[in-house]
Formats: sequence, structure tokens, C-alpha cells
Amino acid sequence: MSIETTAASEVTVLADLSAMLRVLLDEYGLDDAEITMDTTFHDDLELESVDLVALSGQLRESYGERVNFATFIAARDLEEIIALTVGELVRYIVASLAEQP
Amino acid sequence: MSRVRAGELDVNVQRLRPTVPDDDAPIVVCVHGLLTDSLASYYFTLGPAFAERGLDVLMYDLRGHGRTTRPATGYHLEQFVYDLVALLDALDITRPVHVVGNSFGGSVAYGLAAARPERVASVIAIEAEPPTPEWTQHMAEGLADAKTRLAIDEVIGWIRENHGAHTARLSKNASKILQVTSMAEDIPRSATIDPDLSSVQCPVFALFGGDSGLSAQVSHFHRVLANCRTVVLPDQGHSVLVERTAETIDLILEWVRETSPAPVRAR
Repeated sequence: MSIETTAASEVTVLADLSAMLRVLLDEYGLDDAEITMDTTFHDDLELESVDLVALSGQLRESYGERVNFATFIAARDLEEIIALTVGELVRYIVASLAEQP
Repeated sequence: MSRVRAGELDVNVQRLRPTVPDDDAPIVVCVHGLLTDSLASYYFTLGPAFAERGLDVLMYDLRGHGRTTRPATGYHLEQFVYDLVALLDALDITRPVHVVGNSFGGSVAYGLAAARPERVASVIAIEAEPPTPEWTQHMAEGLADAKTRLAIDEVIGWIRENHGAHTARLSKNASKILQVTSMAEDIPRSATIDPDLSSVQCPVFALFGGDSGLSAQVSHFHRVLANCRTVVLPDQGHSVLVERTAETIDLILEWVRETSPAPVRAR
């Protein structure tokens, strides 16, 4: 895969993920938060771990079994989950989609 | 699937099916602890490992917690038990399930085993007490203390200094639950079971941290429960699930395999 297509995929996935996050944030009345690759789930968006689990359900709806959020999370300890950025998840999704077209 | 209507609640649910499909896979229902807890504690620990190793895993947020409905009242233990039965019914789960309960979740598991024995294959209690009269006293003291202290800004500040921003935020959320619901008042007034645990007839696996104090129940359990295994992890406090995840996974898997009857298809 060329650098150009990877970059394009990241932009697309970031847009998709942002839309999913806005649905979650809307329930807390926080739907105007800015979401970039550097945004952290915990400190910037104030999402709790249970919100990340909810996000995993939306990821499954969008991408099916190709993106396994449970596996992604299982490889990390609590501190790493707290520090997780939107960009890390975007790159994981892009890589998962590239593996299994 | 994430929200299921069960009784008066919209229950936030995550189900991880066995990675290799198996209609007869043992069903394990995971019940989390009070206030700072949610189904995420299982989703980030036991859940994926159990599904990979052939179990059908159901995790959910208790009433008032996580992303499940938070009614202002109705937080007696028997209500939590009723909620779990309603959830199993809503999901059409009729086979007896293994109920894993962490801390307060373990009390719910014992409560279900006593109230609805036909629904429970075994109780797996991590750092938990059965809902006896003595338990209500412990809960009354702990909840009253939490309700008063967590409402004080300086206490949250101290938690932030000593345990970090994440724990401070969880503590603030816990305080909010205690302020807007009758949980602190209801739980100590729960219906209880006899201290002789005669109403708990199913197999029980009780896992403790040696430093938490709850392991003092071990000898009593062996005296009164017919089918009981206990494991005490030395040099470990209350956070067994998070801090000793790998051992907990292995111990529970071994237990579930031993206590699951061979699949019976014919009725």
C-alpha cells in the first residue's frame, strides 16, 4: 500500500471514528469537542472505560469482525488505555482493514 | 448489541461469543462491583480471554452504573438480583449460568443462587461476601463513609494527589451516584440470606486477596457449603481482578470446565 493511500485511509477512518464519538459525546452534551489524531479519550474527551466498550460496539457495526477492538484493548494495561489517543485507534483500524480486505 | 430492555431498565450489555462457535458453550455472566465499577472491568480483563477459550461471556452494567439506566431509587440487593433475572429472560438465556461476581457483584451472584437456584450453574465470587446480615452492616458503614467523604472537594483533591487523576474522576462519579440515588440507604436494608448459607446449594468458587480481610470467611465457607473451593492469593489486596488478571482467568476457566456438565441436547 502506498503512503498516499494510507494517509487517505487515516483521514477517512478519523472522520468515521469522529462521527461515532460524537454520538457517544452527544449523550453527555459534549458534541462540539474537537477531535484530532492527538485527542486522548480519557483526558480530552472525558470518556470512561465503559464508553470505550460502547465504542467497540459501534466499530463492529461499521467494520464488522475485521476490526477487533477487544483484542486491541486486551494487549494494553489500564495506564495505556487511559493514555490512548484517537490516532492510535485510527492507525489500528487502518492496519486491520489493510490486512483483511 | 449494546442496550437491552429488561424490566424497567435499558441495560448496557456486551456479549462475547466463543471464538470457535459452540451452541453448548458454558455461559458466564459477569457482575461488576459498586460505584466506580462497570462492565469495562471485565471487558478489559477476563472477557476476551474467556471467549477465546470457548466460553460464552455476558457482561452488563448494573442499575445506576456505567451506561445502564440510573433510577433514583430501588437499590436493594434483591432488586439487582431481579434485574439479572430480567436480563437473562430478555436474552432468552434459560440454561443455568456461571455467575462471576466481583466484590458487590459477588453478593449479587450469591443472592441469585439463593433466590433462583435453577438459573445458576455455579457462583464464582471474587473478593466478595454473601448477602448476610453481617454484610449489610459492612455495606452500611462503607457506603455512609463514602457518601460523606467523597462529597468533600479536599478529599477528591487528596485522591488526585495520591492516586492520580483517573481515580479522582472515578471517585467523583461515585460521589454523584451516591448523591442522586438512594443506593447508600437501600443496600444496607437489603433482604439477606441466612449466615449458614443453606440457601446456596450450587457449587461455589471463592477467590480472595490475602491482605483484604475478606479471606477470613474461608473456614466458614468450607464448614457450611457442600461444594466449595477457595483460593487465597497471598500479598494481594481487594483488586484481585485487575491486579491478578492472568491467575484469575486460569483459575476460573479450570473451575468452569470442572463444574460444567457434559452438553445435554435432548430434553
